[in-house]
Order: sequence, then structure tokens, then C-alpha cells
Amino acid sequence: MATMEIRSVSKNYGTIRVLDDINLQIGDGEFIVLVGPSGCGKSTLLRMIAGLEEITGGEIRIDDRVMNTLPPKGRDIAMVFQSYALYPHMSVADNMSYSLRLRKTDKPTITQKVRAASVKLGLDALLERKPKALSGGQRQRVAMGRAIVRQPKAFLFDEPLSNLDARLREQMRAEIRKLHRELGATSIYVTHDQVEAMTLADRIVAMHGGHIQQVGTPLDLYDRPANLFVAGFIGSPGMNFLAGDVAGGVLRLSDGRQVALPETMPAAMGGATLGIRPEHVLPAPAGQGALDATVDLVEPTGHGIILHLTLAGAVFKVLTHDRRWLSPGPAIAVSFPPEALHLFNAEGLRV
Amino acid sequence: MTATPIPIPTRRPLRQRVALTLEPWLYCAPVLILITAVMLVPLILGISYAFRDIQLLNPFSGGFVGLDHFQALGQDAAFLRALRNTLWWTGASVFLQLSFGLILALLLNVPFAGRGIAQSLVFLPWAVPTFLAGLNWAWLFNPVIGPIPHWLTALGLMEEPSNILSDPQIAMWGPIVAATWWGIPFFAITLLAALQSIPKDLYEAASIDGASPIQRFFSITLPYLAPVIAITVLLRTVWVANFADLIIVMTNGGPADRTQTVASYIFTQAFRRLDFGYASAVALVLLALLLAYSMVILVFRQKLSNRDR
Repeated sequence: MATMEIRSVSKNYGTIRVLDDINLQIGDGEFIVLVGPSGCGKSTLLRMIAGLEEITGGEIRIDDRVMNTLPPKGRDIAMVFQSYALYPHMSVADNMSYSLRLRKTDKPTITQKVRAASVKLGLDALLERKPKALSGGQRQRVAMGRAIVRQPKAFLFDEPLSNLDARLREQMRAEIRKLHRELGATSIYVTHDQVEAMTLADRIVAMHGGHIQQVGTPLDLYDRPANLFVAGFIGSPGMNFLAGDVAGGVLRLSDGRQVALPETMPAAMGGATLGIRPEHVLPAPAGQGALDATVDLVEPTGHGIILHLTLAGAVFKVLTHDRRWLSPGPAIAVSFPPEALHLFNAEGLRV
Repeated sequence: MTATPIPIPTRRPLRQRVALTLEPWLYCAPVLILITAVMLVPLILGISYAFRDIQLLNPFSGGFVGLDHFQALGQDAAFLRALRNTLWWTGASVFLQLSFGLILALLLNVPFAGRGIAQSLVFLPWAVPTFLAGLNWAWLFNPVIGPIPHWLTALGLMEEPSNILSDPQIAMWGPIVAATWWGIPFFAITLLAALQSIPKDLYEAASIDGASPIQRFFSITLPYLAPVIAITVLLRTVWVANFADLIIVMTNGGPADRTQTVASYIFTQAFRRLDFGYASAVALVLLALLLAYSMVILVFRQKLSNRDR
């Protein structure tokens, strides 16, 4: 278990800067999720912490020791790979005990640790199998087991659930969370799936274009996104945006219609974007709400209905649980509860 | 439900039935004829020579002699020595080719500037005709025109510049060195291809697990390469054991039969003494030995991969 500190870290590939001035403090036993679209630099950052990528600038410290030039084996961290990276010619038990055998741990200790980890992960019946005789979920567990037996200072996860089907992913997600609660080890988890980020993280680090966009608890990011990127990335379906001009306490849309803003928001600021989550929009029959919109598509998901609308020339989604909206007709009206509105300025930052 | 009338089988005319039976054979005929003409006939003829007395210089030869050739073989000291030499020549050549090929493949698998050029240059020896390679090496070993004896003398490995190929004690090293030089690319190519198919994240996982480069080599690289090594060594052994060109060109089996292998012995018997019958008998023995060797290796490999599962 350990604290971790990332100080103005940057990474260049040739002349291309993929990470710029990354700063992050990670507390002992914290579960941090790095989330962002592909190419945002989240995996690179994780691999730099692991020691698999050189650090171009800045400092990475684990327990106040600078790790920059230390090889992976000197950092006392364990990593779970997206491909699992199991040694194909070794049995499950040998895969899990490899790191212990390299450190010349005595046999009884190895047996006992492998047994404990395999019981915890439900692998005890599979110890003699080779990886190719296992299912995807079982391989995933072996990869986790290999990390657990070492009792490292920190766990690093690089999109460990991406190769599993949806149901298994859900199940493993819960197991990883449970495992973290039991072991209490500092963990850094990389994913592009915002649902994984929301459900697993103590704190989420949202990344985009090589920069950290926002750091906070899952609900922080959901309730108070710092900018348009985070607002659009967190939540499914994504937040709706209405662009316009703010003057006299109203937002004037491109088609001339107006949305009244609550008094807590600035009355005048020029170009701005108003955001509202699909689940917060209130649908009503046409003419009975703030704005009318045409209906393009109705998507029933079982536990809700997603209405795809066109509003002021842009796609606008509404998530409702009221089955009346299964056949809404050609047009409906939408209203916005004032407390659910987010306002972003011309630079895309939250106001 | 309506009952469909069952058609009553009518006997087709005889000619039609014969045509139907022959039809598939007709389609296969081109391939069958080709295989018979190109492979089976020469093979059977060759085998039949082993049981006949065929000497080009003796117009009265050609009769069936049964197992006479094989009885003669049992007492032929030159053949037994050739058998021992073959073992030594094949073992040393394949071992050296494999070792240097593996080292070369490992070096070429590391990224460096100009790797593409280095890769294509390394594979050059493979493109050199063996006859040329043999001549070239024979000259290199010749103290009159070649530098190698002088270098060995300068290094103190040789008392005075002399020809390795004419020293009965070490003559075999000449063809072995040439065969190694010529055969390294084969191993380097196949092993490099196998190396490049090893997933990178296995090495990353191992380095995080705390494995040093040497430990990574033994716990990941070697197990991954093992099947490829097994099959290339099998192929190469059969190949090298049959490979007489270099020896014929460089030493002609001499001095004093010290570099005579079974393959070069066959060549000598057939084309120098023109005794095709005896040469065929020797060839048949070599064929049997190599078949037995291949069987052993294949069974061994099967066992290995069964244990894997």
C-alpha cells in the first residue's frame, strides 16, 4: 500500500507531445480511474507509472521515492493487462507464482499464497490448467490472481475488462470493487468506459488530448462537470448541448427561441452553451412546455425510453421512464428544471 | 398427408454403370499419372538398383543379387567410418547453425538504425550456390591464397599456416564451418519470424513480475521458440545429413576418407566408381536411418505437445 505523486509529468514521442503537465496526488488505498477517449494518453500515463515507458519530463513518486529511472521490477507494482498477458506454457498456478518464484520465496509460502488467492478468485479447481484451456473470464481472474499474490504497493489495471462480454464485464466490475475493499490496495485503473469509471472509482481522472480535464469523485464529475468535454463524456446517453447567446437572463438559440436561465447564472455573457442531461429533461405534449421539438426516433431500452429529437437544428435526447412516451407523435415539448441546467462559457468552461 | 409413390429402382445398362464407376478415377487420373511418373517410378527403380548388380563399366552386370550389397556393407569399414563421420558432421553443423542462427535472430529482433539493411544482408549466404560457397571456403582455407590460416597462426592457434582441409585430424572442420556459414540464415529467418510473433506484453508482464532479461529469455522466449526449433532442427538434420555438395567440392571425402559422409560416399560410389547398385544400397540405408530419426522426433514432439494440453 502506498501513496503516489505525479508531478508535472510529460511525455513526447519524437516531437509529438502526448502528455502535458500531468499533476496528480493519489492517497493510500485509493481507487483512481483514468478515463478518456482512445488516444488521450491514459494508457501511456499508466505505463509510465509501471516503468514500461520512459518519462520525458516531471517526476513520479511512490511513497515519496522518485521512480523515474527505476526499472519495473524495482517499483513493486503489479499490472493487469488488457490481453491478460498470461504465460501460455505455464499452468494457472505457475502463472500466479512466477513473481514469487523469481524472488526465491520458499515453497510452502508460495503454495499458501497461491491457494489463498485462487480461493478468493474461484480458481482453486483450475490451478493445473493451461491458459488456453480457460474461458476469457477465467483468464481475467488468473491475471488478477497473478497481481494479488505479490501483495504489491499498487495495482495498475490497463482496460482489463475490454475483452469480456457485457454480462461478464458487469460481474467482474463488481468483483474488482469487492476485491479492492478487501485488500485496500492503492489502485489505478484505465478505461474508456465511463460506466466502469463511475462504478469503480473513488476518484475519476478525466483525460483528453494529453491533459487532465477534471479530477473528482464520480458524482462531482456527473453533477458539476468542469468543462464541455467532461460534461459530454460522463453520462449515458450524453449530455445535451444548446448553443446560443446569453443576454437579459435568457439564452437565445440560433433559431431565435429563448430559454429562461435561473437567477444563479449570469444574466449576460455573450456566446455560451447550455447543457442538460437527457434524464433531467421533462417531456410534455407539444405546446405544453418551454420548447417544441420534432421526434426523430424512439428507443425503448426496457428500463427506460430514449427519445431522439431535433431541437434548434441539433440532436437532443430525452431519457424518460414513463411508458406513455413510447408513441409520442411527430412533435413534443421539453422543459428544463432550473437546478439541472449547466452553463459553459465560450471557452467551454463551466460558469 | 399424401403418399408419394416410391420409385422402383431400375437397373441401369452395364455401360452406364461402368462409366459411373470410372468417373472419379478419370478426374484423378492426371494427378495420379503425374505422381506415379515423377515420384513412384524413380523411387522404385532406385530401390530396385540396391538389389541388383549395376556397374556402368561392366557390360555383363545388371543381374539380381538379393541382399549381397547389404552384406558387403556390413563389412565395409569405409561405410562404417562414413556413418560415424555423418553423425559428427550433421550434429556439429546443425548445432552451430542453430546457435548462431538464434543469436543472430535475437540481435535482429532488437530495433536499431539500419535494421532493414542488416536483415537483408544477413540472409545473403542463403542465396549463394553451395558449389560456389564450397569453392570460396576451400580457397579461404588455402594458405597460398586464403587469409584464414595466416590469421589462425597470428592468433597462436596454428603453428604455421597450413591447410585445415589437408590435416586428417581437423579436416572435417572445414566443411562444417562452410555449412554453418551457409546454413545460419535458414535458422535466423525462421527463428526471427517466430520471435516476432511473441506478444510484447508478455515481456512487459514478466518485467513487472521481476524477471531479468535472462530470466525473460528462458521463461518466455525459449518456450515460445521450442516448437519452431524442434521442427527446424528436424528438417535441417535430414537436409544436412543428405548434403554432399560442400564436402565433394572442398575435400572430396579426403584426406584418407576423414571427411567422407554417407552422402558423399554414395556420390563417390555412384559417380566415381560407377557402381550404381552398391550406391543405391548405401542410399537405402541412409533413407531408413533418416526415416527412423524423423519418426523418433515426431513422436517426441507429439508427446511434448500432448503434455502441454
